[in-house]
Amino acid sequence: MTAVASPPATRFRSRLRPSDLVRTGTSGIRNRPGRAAFTAVGIAIGIASMVAVLGISASSRADLLAELDRLGTNLLQVQPGQDLFGEAATLPADAPLMIRRIGPVDGAASVAKLQATVRRNDQIPTSARNGLTVHATEPGLIDTLEADMRTGRFLDAASAQLPTVVLGSVAAERLGITNLQLGPRVWIADRWFAVIGVLEPMALHADLDRTAFIGLPVARTELGVKGLPSTVYLRTVPSQVNNVRAVLARTANPADPNEVQVARPSDALEARAQVDQNLQRLLLGLGGVALLVGGLGIANVMIISVLERRTEIGVRRALGATKGHIAVQFVVESTLLALLGGLFGVAIGYAATAGYARRQGWIIDLPMEALVLGVAAALAVGALAGLYPAARAARLDPAEAVRPGG
Amino acid sequence: MSDTVLELKNVSREYPGVPPVRAIDNVTLKVMSGEYTAIVGASGSGKSTLLNLIGTLDRPTEGSVFIDGVNTSQLRDRQVAGLRSARIGFVFQQFHLLEGMTAVDNVATGLIYQGASRRSRQERSTTALHRVGLGHRCDHTPAMMSGGERQRVAIARALVGDPAIVLADEPTGNLDSKTSDDIVALLERLNAEGSTIVVITHDRELAQRIPRRISLSDGQIVDDATTTKEHS
Repeated sequence: MTAVASPPATRFRSRLRPSDLVRTGTSGIRNRPGRAAFTAVGIAIGIASMVAVLGISASSRADLLAELDRLGTNLLQVQPGQDLFGEAATLPADAPLMIRRIGPVDGAASVAKLQATVRRNDQIPTSARNGLTVHATEPGLIDTLEADMRTGRFLDAASAQLPTVVLGSVAAERLGITNLQLGPRVWIADRWFAVIGVLEPMALHADLDRTAFIGLPVARTELGVKGLPSTVYLRTVPSQVNNVRAVLARTANPADPNEVQVARPSDALEARAQVDQNLQRLLLGLGGVALLVGGLGIANVMIISVLERRTEIGVRRALGATKGHIAVQFVVESTLLALLGGLFGVAIGYAATAGYARRQGWIIDLPMEALVLGVAAALAVGALAGLYPAARAARLDPAEAVRPGG
Repeated sequence: MSDTVLELKNVSREYPGVPPVRAIDNVTLKVMSGEYTAIVGASGSGKSTLLNLIGTLDRPTEGSVFIDGVNTSQLRDRQVAGLRSARIGFVFQQFHLLEGMTAVDNVATGLIYQGASRRSRQERSTTALHRVGLGHRCDHTPAMMSGGERQRVAIARALVGDPAIVLADEPTGNLDSKTSDDIVALLERLNAEGSTIVVITHDRELAQRIPRRISLSDGQIVDDATTTKEHS
């Protein structure tokens, strides 16, 4: 055969199987596992912090939402606002009655804040209020609030007419009343009231935890107050919350609906579930910075690796690797390094989330997207970090690289 | 066998500079299949440049290089790389084995860019190692081997793809004289078995043992002598 009759050049095509692509891409990692581990740590930290931020905030939110579910979002409260002159307005005495007549309202109960103080006994000066308040209320309150008794029972139609009192959890604690066996009494408005029950803490109504509840009838007869409602609580059919809300002011105070404030206590909790978004963004940003630094670390190590492995690159080229094969080998290596870091990071992030959530007594809720996103981000950073070193490796002159001492 | 496996036609390689350096100047040569050739010259004579041109690691500024009948100047990177992997075997002075890989894996690297399957690579590599007398060292890494053994592994790597031509750049340059003799004997045997071998060396003594000697000086061929087989 002479040189003139050239066979088709296309019969020579350098080929690298995908499995060999991975094998050559991991050769650097396998030869220097220690360095690979240190290189991957940067990525691991970045991914771990991002996963933990997403996981912890999701767990916290899941916990709040679970609490919301438990408490229900169908509780509304009506309070007097201000009149035209900015003076404190009042609600009509029959507001609870009127509200109960709204179709989708399951139940309503009012509390009326009294000026009276509650004390352990008559020897304690009136000034020592202990941050506690006295409210006159209706027996239906406990059902409307879906509150639980820690001990004893709540006011009923009979006890509401007698000098009996039910204490909120904080009020009981501050008055030093832990059990009802000895028939404890407290001093309210110059009278003894027998303590018949203590409530559990109420998540949405921390103010009521510091309250002593007496019956509205006894307040009127014994204390001589009018007992105008300071707050009316009501439960609606869950699907009708907004409709009820729309007519509440006019129902509670038909004469001056503008002087009525309507609120949904669960809104505050819901707001808490949203409120930490800024913080979350900040922490995610910090995680992103860690990831970026990790990526630069990989790029750096890869550049050093290219310099160290000049000969290998030259030999591979001599053995038939194309520039593309060399470039891909280094991109695969840096991507795998980052993937290694990413997987570790996801594991650490998950562990951190689980540990923190458990300590807080939360549900562990790590969104799948966070895990997938974590690994994907690591892959992307690794691939990007490998591009420049890979290009340098591919550009190496093979003749130079295999030269003795070169 | 008298096929031309290597042909250089008026090949020159100039490096830019002021004035430009003409490392290879209008070289024309032919190497036939089964030939055992030495390219000899002092350092700076253009040997390395010629080796790179023959090995397609570098391209001529003028002229054409034909490997196994293929004009390499018309090929793209991927095709040149494919040609290297299929038709050219390299043996380097410093062995250039990949550390951390076993002998058999090192030899198998010579087949990886041909797209051969892992099993076939392993089988052919083991055979090649047996051929160079290292069948018992297949699973050893370069760090566990002597210089001579490493060079044998490198030779096995060059041979494993059954190339049209083996290019050996100072194959004994890093070896003591006893080991050098072994390597030279191995190359002679491989040639006798049919391999086409081109050795680049400045070692006149080594060159004397090779049937055909092309002497290079200032980038030009100054002598092309062939000793008849009876004397080799």
